[in-house]
Amino acid sequence: MTERTLDGHVSISDLEKVYDDGAERTTAIKDLSFDIEGGEFATIVGPSGCGKSTLLYLVAGFLDETSGSIEVDGDPIDGPGTDRGVVFQDYALFPWRTVMENVTYGLEEQGYNKEERRSRAQKYIDMMDLSGFENNYPKELSGGMKQRVGLARTLAYDPKILLMDEPFGALDQPLRESLQDQLIDIWGDLDKTVVFVTHDVEEAVYLSDSVMVMTRHPGTKKNVTKVDLDRSQTREEIITSNEFTETKNDVWKSLREETQPEVQP
Amino acid sequence: MDVSVRELDASSVVSVLKSLYSLILVLVLWEVVTQLGYIHYYFLPPLSDVLARFVELTQSGEMLDNAYLTLKRAFLGLAIASVLGVIVGILSARNRVANWFFDPIIKIGYPVPIIALIPVFMLWFGIGDTSKIIMVAVGTFWPIAVNARDAARQVEQNLVWAARMMGTSDWKLLWRVIMPAAAPGIVTGLQIALPLSLIITFVFEMVAGGGGLGALEIQGVRSFQSTQTYAAIIAIMLVGLALDRSLRVVRGYLLRWT
Amino acid sequence: MSNVSVRSVDAVPAPLLRAGKFLFDWIPLVILTVLWEYASGTAVPAEILPPPTRVVGEIQELIVSGEVYSHLFTSLFRIGVGLGLSIAVGVLLGIGMARLDPVEDFFEVLLALTYPIPKTALVPLAILWLGVGTETAVLIVFLACLLPIVLNAYNAAENVDKNLVWAAKMMGTDGRQLFRKVVIPATIPEILTGVRQAIPIAFIALVSAELIASDEGIGYLILTAGQVGNYPTMFANIVIISAVAFFAVRGYELLRERVLVWT
Repeated sequence: MTERTLDGHVSISDLEKVYDDGAERTTAIKDLSFDIEGGEFATIVGPSGCGKSTLLYLVAGFLDETSGSIEVDGDPIDGPGTDRGVVFQDYALFPWRTVMENVTYGLEEQGYNKEERRSRAQKYIDMMDLSGFENNYPKELSGGMKQRVGLARTLAYDPKILLMDEPFGALDQPLRESLQDQLIDIWGDLDKTVVFVTHDVEEAVYLSDSVMVMTRHPGTKKNVTKVDLDRSQTREEIITSNEFTETKNDVWKSLREETQPEVQP
Repeated sequence: MDVSVRELDASSVVSVLKSLYSLILVLVLWEVVTQLGYIHYYFLPPLSDVLARFVELTQSGEMLDNAYLTLKRAFLGLAIASVLGVIVGILSARNRVANWFFDPIIKIGYPVPIIALIPVFMLWFGIGDTSKIIMVAVGTFWPIAVNARDAARQVEQNLVWAARMMGTSDWKLLWRVIMPAAAPGIVTGLQIALPLSLIITFVFEMVAGGGGLGALEIQGVRSFQSTQTYAAIIAIMLVGLALDRSLRVVRGYLLRWT
Repeated sequence: MSNVSVRSVDAVPAPLLRAGKFLFDWIPLVILTVLWEYASGTAVPAEILPPPTRVVGEIQELIVSGEVYSHLFTSLFRIGVGLGLSIAVGVLLGIGMARLDPVEDFFEVLLALTYPIPKTALVPLAILWLGVGTETAVLIVFLACLLPIVLNAYNAAENVDKNLVWAAKMMGTDGRQLFRKVVIPATIPEILTGVRQAIPIAFIALVSAELIASDEGIGYLILTAGQVGNYPTMFANIVIISAVAFFAVRGYELLRERVLVWT
């Protein structure tokens, strides 16, 4: 009798995603197999158009696979679910709801009463440094703040797996670094699996336990690099360490091969 | 920057005058030309007489009674059309079967000049309040449904996905996400429907009678009391202005998040 | 409502698919028409709701006998003249208000006050001045279409791309020439869109006027047919005017595409 531990293990096997509108047939993802351990922080990098966002959306259940399987803790997924929370690149906040109302949305779905919702939401609002903005509408917030609301919202209803689609892509460097560090802190405290998509190799190596490089279109798994950094150090120490530089170069080289067209002898 | 109170008064008075002078000119000309007898009384009574008649009608209660009738008919019809139109519009946008069913109906109904159906409604429902209310409902249904549908179709996919990932079921999605997201478009539909509701009510009243500002207005013509006609027009203008402003305020509140 | 991946249907050729889809789309109406045919005479008295076959027959008769033509022509004539005048006056007024401050100052408050009055509500006034007949109808159509066109022309002229104006000025165009060579051509697309929106308004205004104050025209035919109890004719005429309204808009859109070859 195998004991099933619900720890957010994601298992992707022979995944294929084909778009076919009758006139054109595009294969976005082909023969992709990838495993993410429960509690792992996994990053996916790849050249533009390789299908990394598509992959994330497939795991999220927003898109249906053409063939192959995606399983979470041994069960195949069936559309979107509260076990997989997504943080969108363009925030996807509900513009007609205030910050507090956006963050409590998932809690409303789960049936908590008003006080419960408020107090849980407030915890994450404070965690994301948004205290004082509870009654503001998204239109009144900066890009960085909106992204923090998006993060707070997804964390608030406690999904086991976090799927993040280039969440910091639209932000400027200092803000990005600050949010990266906050993310690491949170992930350290909470027991979640994170699947993080980015095109920024440094970000990938800095944040994760493993980096998967995807080939260019049609995308498949090229290789997976394990990352082993001493995360008790400061940001500066980590970035300047040898392990970081080496790992970064490995990933970078691998990615470079996908973005450079092959040179014919 | 400190501007002295005196200067502020003078410049604001000037700018108010600047924008109103044409109106004042027209009103003064109206009174003067008619009092001098250049225009036959029946065609254009003096402004003072018209205003006197307006006051008279207000005091006797006739003006308010008729205004109430017109507004009641227009509003009730509009309310029915709003509920039905939003439901049909949103369903058509998000559900294939609903769209298959309603789309040709919407396509056919749209180009029909709804006013042409007044004799039909008179035939089917008579010439009373109910008939007018139903006609307003039918006439204003189309712009509301079309706008609701178009707005609901354009709801950002990410918002739908975000709601679904947080556990929202298909039916709840319509109410919790689609409708608020489509609200700007729906309000636009209402802005088109409001004047239309008044037009239908007025014309119906003029053709069929039964009280209301439209009936009041045409009665003035038929009974050779043109001051009544002009007074009714002023009332219509005031009603129109009031409704327009109110809708703007409501829009401002409902869409305060845009 | 979930995302289903599409499978290609390779076997069936595209034009056939389109025709099939076209027919399929209109099935609800076919069903409704069949229900209508059946309900008339059974669930609902045939006088109140003549069956579609009867209505179509009536339409045929009207067209063949030529009865309807003079009235149709009258109605269309009134719309044409009213709309034409409103375009001529409206465009001038709108552009004038946008580019010349004194003009704007003068008309602004007058237009703002008359904006909330539905112009069809002025039919009795028109009767007062012009009696019953074509002049009244033309006046109402004119007034009803005027404001939308003025607003459209105003917005179009206000938003003329400043770069275009500067480019022309740089090359030596100024004053009246600027107006003619730059402002007006730049505003034409939006104005034509405004006209397109005015067409259904024109039809509503016309029918309103003809129902209340006319002795000719399709609206008049509808009203009188209803009054004497000739319901098939009444419905037939409603179908006719609706069809004309539909084709008027379509025809206009085709024409506009021809004219606006540069967009």
